[in-house]
Amino acid sequence: MRFLICLLFTGMVFGPAFPAYAAEKLIVYTSMKESLIGKLRDGFVKKHLGIAMDYQSAGAGKLMAKIAAERESGTVLADVVWTSEVPDFYNMKNEGLLAEYASPMLAEILNPLDENVKGFFTPARLGTLGIAINTRFVKTPPAQWADLTQKEYQGAFGIANPSLSGTSYMSVALLVKQFGWTFIEKLRDNKAKIGKGSGQVIDDTASGDLVASLAVDYITNDKIAKGATLALVYPPEMLVVPSPVAIIKTSPNMNAAKKFVDFLLSKEGQTIIAGEGTLPVRADVTVPEAFKLPKPDDAMKRAIKIDYLQIIKEKENTVKKFSEILQGKS
Amino acid sequence: MSAPVRKKFFVGTAGIILFLSIAVLVVFVAFPVVLILFNAFWTKGAFNLVDVAAVLREPDTYQALLNSVFIAGGTTIGSTIIGTFFAWLVTRTDLPYKNFMKGMFLVPFMLPSFIGALAWKMLLSPRAGYINRLFMDYFGFDGPVFNIYSYYGIMAVEVMYLFPFVFIQVCGALERMDPTLEESARISGAGLFTITRRITIPLVLPSILSGALLIMLYSMAHFGTVAVLGIENGIFNIPTLIYERIHQSAGSFAAIRTGTVLATVLVVSAAFIIWLQGKVLGKGRYQIIAGKSFRPMELKLRGLRYPLLILCLAYIGFTIVLPTVVIFMVGGLKTYGLPFTMENLSLDNYKFILFDYKTTKDAIWNSVSLGLSAAVITMFAGVMISYVIVKMKVRGKGILEFLGMLPFSVPGSVIALGVILAWSGKFGVNLYNTVWIILVAYIARYMAFSLKANSAALEQVHDSLIEAARACGASMWQSLRDIVLPLVRPGMFAAFFLIFLPSLRELTVSIMLYAPTTRTIGVAIYTLNEDGETVMSAALAGIALVIIITGQTLITGLTGASVKAK
Repeated sequence: MRFLICLLFTGMVFGPAFPAYAAEKLIVYTSMKESLIGKLRDGFVKKHLGIAMDYQSAGAGKLMAKIAAERESGTVLADVVWTSEVPDFYNMKNEGLLAEYASPMLAEILNPLDENVKGFFTPARLGTLGIAINTRFVKTPPAQWADLTQKEYQGAFGIANPSLSGTSYMSVALLVKQFGWTFIEKLRDNKAKIGKGSGQVIDDTASGDLVASLAVDYITNDKIAKGATLALVYPPEMLVVPSPVAIIKTSPNMNAAKKFVDFLLSKEGQTIIAGEGTLPVRADVTVPEAFKLPKPDDAMKRAIKIDYLQIIKEKENTVKKFSEILQGKS
Repeated sequence: MSAPVRKKFFVGTAGIILFLSIAVLVVFVAFPVVLILFNAFWTKGAFNLVDVAAVLREPDTYQALLNSVFIAGGTTIGSTIIGTFFAWLVTRTDLPYKNFMKGMFLVPFMLPSFIGALAWKMLLSPRAGYINRLFMDYFGFDGPVFNIYSYYGIMAVEVMYLFPFVFIQVCGALERMDPTLEESARISGAGLFTITRRITIPLVLPSILSGALLIMLYSMAHFGTVAVLGIENGIFNIPTLIYERIHQSAGSFAAIRTGTVLATVLVVSAAFIIWLQGKVLGKGRYQIIAGKSFRPMELKLRGLRYPLLILCLAYIGFTIVLPTVVIFMVGGLKTYGLPFTMENLSLDNYKFILFDYKTTKDAIWNSVSLGLSAAVITMFAGVMISYVIVKMKVRGKGILEFLGMLPFSVPGSVIALGVILAWSGKFGVNLYNTVWIILVAYIARYMAFSLKANSAALEQVHDSLIEAARACGASMWQSLRDIVLPLVRPGMFAAFFLIFLPSLRELTVSIMLYAPTTRTIGVAIYTLNEDGETVMSAALAGIALVIIITGQTLITGLTGASVKAK
């Protein structure tokens, strides 16, 4: 009895403790999946023996909420932020949260971002979205975005909820920019579905609940590698969304943070990124053949151009209109 | 000289206990709720009903309200019918293996309904669900047998996991019912139908209603099932709409306001339901029980004995065994969508989740430590507060009685929203995005359980024991420590486990409050599913089921043993 109570108290005292961080430890907040950031960490600490590194991997929205709360309480724990939400980086830059650092690697990389943010945040990976199809059901892959409005995809094409997933919002905004709202209306007429997270629509495609979905490259490739009957195809107009990396201005580990950014953009770091089935930002790194991704420079050429400032401004309205159309309310 | 001094001391201790009790309830429960009401009705520095009406008239919110009521209504009716029927079957008939059956019908209590929802999604999603596929591939069906992404799907899943609320209540009532009432009716020549209609049903009706109202309350504020099965088809209820709004706008004022208005609706309906339940139960207690140890008469099922047994077994197999098996099987798959063959199945996911995957390791640790802490704190706070309410005669007790009712009527999603308002820095303390905010919310959420268990235990401690101790010169503190606490220990234990086990599978509160490192098991399962890691999510759900069921079994064993020891 006593013992039990002691046990409970120990649990109570040591239970909800925060993870303790050593002072020289680099902390990276990222929305990249754990296997990717884990491999990068291993590569990085092996190269820079004096530096320890830890990361928090979560959705970009959660990470931004955490940073906001940390700012409120005085100290931002993150040294480096790396997500796929470009608008967040514009906001952080405007709020003076980001350190300016022109990495020596900057000249060597492909950079679709504006001139005036250069040095504040730099793309470290190019995310692409294509159409994931379940090869059990779709025998001829769609060649055009417009193919999705055909009968074959009726009631069985899914897009992740743009209010939950920033990547999904970005792709919706780009598709609307390129093809107009009529394209979304045609999708609605073909009973396209709003899924939940951007990964879930892909799993629903793998299971056959959907036959196709708007899909992020590395999630799809990961499932293909595990044996899912999926294929990822890219129509001519590509959706390419860079994932920028930035250093937090108040970081006490500025030196380590800069080294990490350099490593991320280096040939070595980009090779690790390419190895996980996502596009590198360097033309001199090739993605393993098995992933069937386009070449980075080719993807950049085919990409629908993005006006970030406009996209940030229009987010609320676009998401609302999109949901209303697809849920059949207008 | 010494008497007034002693009296003063007594007032002092009592005063402190009273003050502490009120403080705990105010800080943890009342304050967040008041903030919600304040934020809902008070805009731009003035009382504002027009805005509230405007929010409620928005098509989305209005629809969510209707959905909440509709789903809760359907779930309540379904659960009541099923729960009452099975309760009658295991208490008042000669069904074979009755006791075993009774135990099995309580199992859904342990199963988190959102894990059930995940399983049913795998079984009955329109195109890929295993059952639907089976019928389409082998029996030549054109379309799905049943689409789980629908109102009826949601209701069916909620019924499966909520009906024990009614089942337990009705079983209790039927077992304790005075059989002489029925016997005298029978002797007076009434037939079975008349007895059932005129005697049995009126006697158990309060229990049925009270169980039904509990389900109504739970279902209206329930997040998981609707989130897993509804969002895809645009079916939102109040908690899922609050979640989506807050997620969408990263905590902007408009979203929080919509949230607070919706939360107010939940609080009001919950208060109404609780009030109604109080009325119903008040009546019931008066009628039912004359705890005699007669065995009530059993109805001979005759030819129906085995068909009904098969029905029960089929029901259990279908609602408990099948979903559980599916969860474990999918958890073993390499990736979702592969067929269940030996080469596709392995224990790798389970190993990965337990030993290598940071997210899930964190989640298990968080849930266990949060559960322990919440259970210990709430257990002690509950003893203290119940003691004041049940035993002490001091001024100001009325306030406490009122405050003590609050935790019963505040649904989880409301608590979550309230603690965001209260503890995100506006009042000097910023716990947002830390585990502490979840702990604070858990304490508020589970206080009701602790109060219930502890006051029940305290009511059985007769005042004369304390008076005797005091008469022999013990101080108030001594009498508490040596008399009261040892006697209510079973109640405290009960409270501890009533809090610890449910908190392991909690989702409604923590989904609103989690940060990257503070995922709970429930949140991890939900977000993994949302992120399309269906197999990982299933594997973690499987592990959660193992933890919960082991815990429950251990506890039943432990408490059983301690009862016997006495």
